[in-house]
Amino acid sequence: MRSEDGGPFNISEMIFHHTGDAHELDFQPLFTIPLPHWEPVHIGSLVVDLSPTKHVVFLILAAVLTFLLLKLASIGVARARREGRAPRGFAGFMEMFVLWVRQDMAIANIGHESGARYAPLVMTFFFFILICNILGLMPWGASPTGNLAVTGALAILAFLVIEIGGMLKLGFKGYMGTIFPKIPGMDGAMGLVMSVALAPIEILSKFVKPIALAIRLFGNMLAGHFVILSLFGIVFMFGSIEYFRWGIGTVTAAVVLGVMALELFVAFLQAYVFALLSAVFIGLMQHEH
Amino acid sequence: MTLPLLLLIQEAEHAVEAGGLPAPFQPTLGLVIWTWVVFIALLIVLAKFVYPGLVKMTADREATINQQLAEAKRLQAEAEAGLEEQRALLAAARGEAQAIVGEARDAAERERASAVARTRTEQEEILARAKQEIAAEGERAKAEMRREAVDLAIAAAGKVIGRQLDADADRTLVEDYLSEIGSQA
Repeated sequence: MRSEDGGPFNISEMIFHHTGDAHELDFQPLFTIPLPHWEPVHIGSLVVDLSPTKHVVFLILAAVLTFLLLKLASIGVARARREGRAPRGFAGFMEMFVLWVRQDMAIANIGHESGARYAPLVMTFFFFILICNILGLMPWGASPTGNLAVTGALAILAFLVIEIGGMLKLGFKGYMGTIFPKIPGMDGAMGLVMSVALAPIEILSKFVKPIALAIRLFGNMLAGHFVILSLFGIVFMFGSIEYFRWGIGTVTAAVVLGVMALELFVAFLQAYVFALLSAVFIGLMQHEH
Repeated sequence: MTLPLLLLIQEAEHAVEAGGLPAPFQPTLGLVIWTWVVFIALLIVLAKFVYPGLVKMTADREATINQQLAEAKRLQAEAEAGLEEQRALLAAARGEAQAIVGEARDAAERERASAVARTRTEQEEILARAKQEIAAEGERAKAEMRREAVDLAIAAAGKVIGRQLDADADRTLVEDYLSEIGSQA
């Protein structure tokens, strides 16, 4: 295998080619589909290139798949309901899955009165991120969640929901209490000084939470792909060695299989962690006093 | 460990300089906006068309289960109340039965006691009458015997002295004598 500029095989170029965004859909060695370049949009002084890239396509694909998966489940559940029996098979499994996310992740952490209102967000986080993660493990697939822009955007959404939800629930005075905490047992001037002194830490913690969400998801997905691609790279790097290449190739393929299985687990785990932590943060904010 | 990473970052910078797209570390605003659009659209579609169906089923089922639970609880409470009532009734009935049995026993006891007492007085009466009769009979027999004895004595004495004793005067004599003997005896 040669690198694209015709030089010798370059493993880091291969890795970045596969994990990075691109203006084409890569189905090598069969074909590639070029994606259109759109004129950048000017918003004030900001120049935004909204051209659909590889990750945009996979984002939309993930959204469509998530919708179809849940829609099929809901059709199956509705049919089972009409026939007066419990849903079976795929619908039953998905119903259990959806209810688990709704009850044990959203409502258990946010609380009974407002949990139902935030449950759709948490459920969408979970299923959308799960599908995004799994898409990266498919042949010719890519994980949009392995891109910091995507996880950052999702984390910003979570941040907005956490903070705005808190403001709506607590009111202005209550919300300011989450920035200037009231220290138990400290009144008067000393309490005020401590509140103001702690405010930077409180503000920092508000921002650290979504940043941690974004970096954790992005880092886990990207690192998984790096590991798999690096191991695959071994095959190409040693492909020119006589005799030994068969052994190297076999061992590498076995290791990659194991890592793939691990990545499948990580795909579930990271979707779970992102959705669960969003629910926990929303719940923490709702119950702040 | 650090060297490959540095190499990777260097490669990424090369790629950007060469006019390619940035590596995953460098977020582009375009992708951020696309993510928002896609995610929010998905959220709205799911929340409008999919979740209500899935969740309504559950909510309905939950409501049914809750209703059945409440019904079961109500029935159980009812059954318990009924049982309590039965128990109270049974206790009352048992008390009543005991009272009746006790009363009957008391009545029987009284009856027996009175019967015994009546029998005893009757016996005593009979006994007393019998004693009286025996005593009277004795007296009469004694008097009879005495009269016989006097007659015999007089007859014997008359024979002995060969003359007819004056019946009445002698009778008095003999009777005095006999009573003397009687008192000596």
